[in-house]
Amino acid sequence: MTGQSYAVSVPKGYRVGPWEIREPLASGAFATVYTARLAGGAQPDLPRQAALKFLPTGTRTPRQLRHLRELAEREVELLGRLRAPRLIRMYDTLTVDDPDHPELDGATVLVLEEAEGSLDVVLDRTPAPDSGPALLAQICEGLHQLHHAGWVHGDLKPANVLLMKDGTVRLADFNLAAEMEGTHAYAPAFATPDYTPPELLWSEMDERGTRIRPTADIWAFGVLAHVVLTGAFPLPGGSTEARADAATRYARGAEELRLSPQLPEAWREIVHDCLAPTHEDRSTRAAGTAALLRRVEEAAGTSPSARLPRLRPRKWRGPVLAAAVAAALLATATVTYALRDQDQAPAASAPASCEKPAMYEDETHGRGYTAGWNGTWDFVIKQGDGGSQVKEAQCLLKHRHGITQVGEVDGDFGPLTHAAVVTFQKRAGLDADGAVGPDTWRALRTAAKN
Amino acid sequence: MYSVIVVPPSCDGVDEQIRIASGERLAFGRAGTNGGLTIAHEGVPRVAGEITADRNFWLLSNFSEDQTYVVENPEGAGEHIKVAPGRMDAPVPFEFSRVVLPAAGDLLSFDVWAPRHVFRSVARHGLSGAATVQAFALDRTKRYFAVLAALCEPRLRGESRAPLPAVEQLVERLRPTWPTVSRSAVYWNIDYLAVKLRLRPGPDTADPGGPRQNGKKESLVSLALRFDLVREDDLTALADPTPVAPAAVAPAAVAPNGVIR
Repeated sequence: MTGQSYAVSVPKGYRVGPWEIREPLASGAFATVYTARLAGGAQPDLPRQAALKFLPTGTRTPRQLRHLRELAEREVELLGRLRAPRLIRMYDTLTVDDPDHPELDGATVLVLEEAEGSLDVVLDRTPAPDSGPALLAQICEGLHQLHHAGWVHGDLKPANVLLMKDGTVRLADFNLAAEMEGTHAYAPAFATPDYTPPELLWSEMDERGTRIRPTADIWAFGVLAHVVLTGAFPLPGGSTEARADAATRYARGAEELRLSPQLPEAWREIVHDCLAPTHEDRSTRAAGTAALLRRVEEAAGTSPSARLPRLRPRKWRGPVLAAAVAAALLATATVTYALRDQDQAPAASAPASCEKPAMYEDETHGRGYTAGWNGTWDFVIKQGDGGSQVKEAQCLLKHRHGITQVGEVDGDFGPLTHAAVVTFQKRAGLDADGAVGPDTWRALRTAAKN
Repeated sequence: MYSVIVVPPSCDGVDEQIRIASGERLAFGRAGTNGGLTIAHEGVPRVAGEITADRNFWLLSNFSEDQTYVVENPEGAGEHIKVAPGRMDAPVPFEFSRVVLPAAGDLLSFDVWAPRHVFRSVARHGLSGAATVQAFALDRTKRYFAVLAALCEPRLRGESRAPLPAVEQLVERLRPTWPTVSRSAVYWNIDYLAVKLRLRPGPDTADPGGPRQNGKKESLVSLALRFDLVREDDLTALADPTPVAPAAVAPAAVAPNGVIR
């Protein structure tokens, strides 16, 4: 053991699959991350260097077995199903098979994109760095991508924000992440109290864990923004317990929120809204990550049109197209406002289901059908993907557009789903590439029933 | 969100418990002023003192002219603190406390619980950054922990579908290390664990008697095992099992982790 603080200790030079372990990078409550290099020849889908995250899930490991396995599964599932520009990329998962090292035998190993370091380390060295606003814009973007895909991070904090060589940001550590099931997700009963919203500090427990909602990440983002921009926590107190106590008093209305005077004016309202005391206030005032991202990018002074094209799928790249889309969105917004009142009642009384997709109104994209699984209009999914977006698309294909060849609605984008998408795209006069991107989503949601 | 629970003398049920949140005050005395706790005894001052919840502990103020109050730790083998007359905001460090007031030759008492005491893993010391911690804080030296360990024992010893021990069996199991244990003490600790682990009240809580307790036990055990609140090494908190040898654990029989690919 190099030290007590390593969750898993792996000797230098140790081989796991094609990887040879180098130095430890970081260690957290559940796992230890090592750099590793590809031994032997180059492989087509693998980088030369990667970060290997070891979770001690072996059957002989004396430590907290059950929940570690669950935490490992959560991360593997999320990263296996979700790929987005601001989320750390997973190349592979391995299991250590080494009976001679009982401490390691059975450990789950995630092969991840290698980062330069974490935001935590940056803040240790330089509190309130100049790059803070730009970093926050990217973090918010990552959060948006995650929420958009129907997941809650559950543990957003500087240590879980990674910085890459090219200066971009990735969200990482999805051990506590949870996929939304209706209005809630179930997260394991762990938290980082300084980044936990007051309603979850002493929340009721189900046998499945804590019920959390996306606004938990919004609170964490508010705390993180305050920490990044001012170097101090937003709530007063010299210890985690004192600050957690201050958070509960604030949520009860017994104390006001006094943000640091060092917080730049442009950010004051954003942080204030993210730190709204209850879930309800937060969802009204911060109103989801799409709206939040726009405000954050404005405050950060990063021009969305100048920066975003790099990060979005190719279809969004051309500035001309982007302008056209913006104009189209404005146009739909006007129309939907006109339609809103007369149709709201029936929409509200008939909740959407997979079998009976219902009309709803998206703030940005206007009116369309949803099957209740996911509200995306532009998240690109294709064969090999999985998750709530896939389920949404499958439901719409099958029950809105009558394309039964999609097969079972299982959330896995397999060959049947691919074929169904191609059929639909041909019928709708779209590019029949089998991937569900912005155009296909729009058609799925708005095209007339066949 | 409460942080301290005050249990009035001869309290009949959860409804009579008074829950106060951090920063809130509760006066106690003969008069029971402003919704405070009434202690109906001629020997007690009209306003005898005040309890203030602060973070996850509480403070006791003694308003009497000449009586010292004693706060005992009922599980602490005589451990107690004295709060002199006129002392304001004396911090009380116990999770369970019995406040004892002398009154004209009688000793009156009521209980105060502080279920939100925090325990953190020391293994993480030295790591930088804000730690991700378990949402539960159990004191492994408390009796409730022994009760939880005894409840989980059959399943921890390898029989995942083993029936939960009945309260009588729990009493027998706990007696070697806790000679004064009784059925009601076990029930009390099960109820307290439900508070401590913030169990969402299940649909069957309305049923009186047996089924309710059983549902609660079942929920406690599955939560405790799911999040490894009690592990096999914690069974040392209990005496060695009296029946034959413990059921073979046979690690080889445990299916390997099926996470991969």
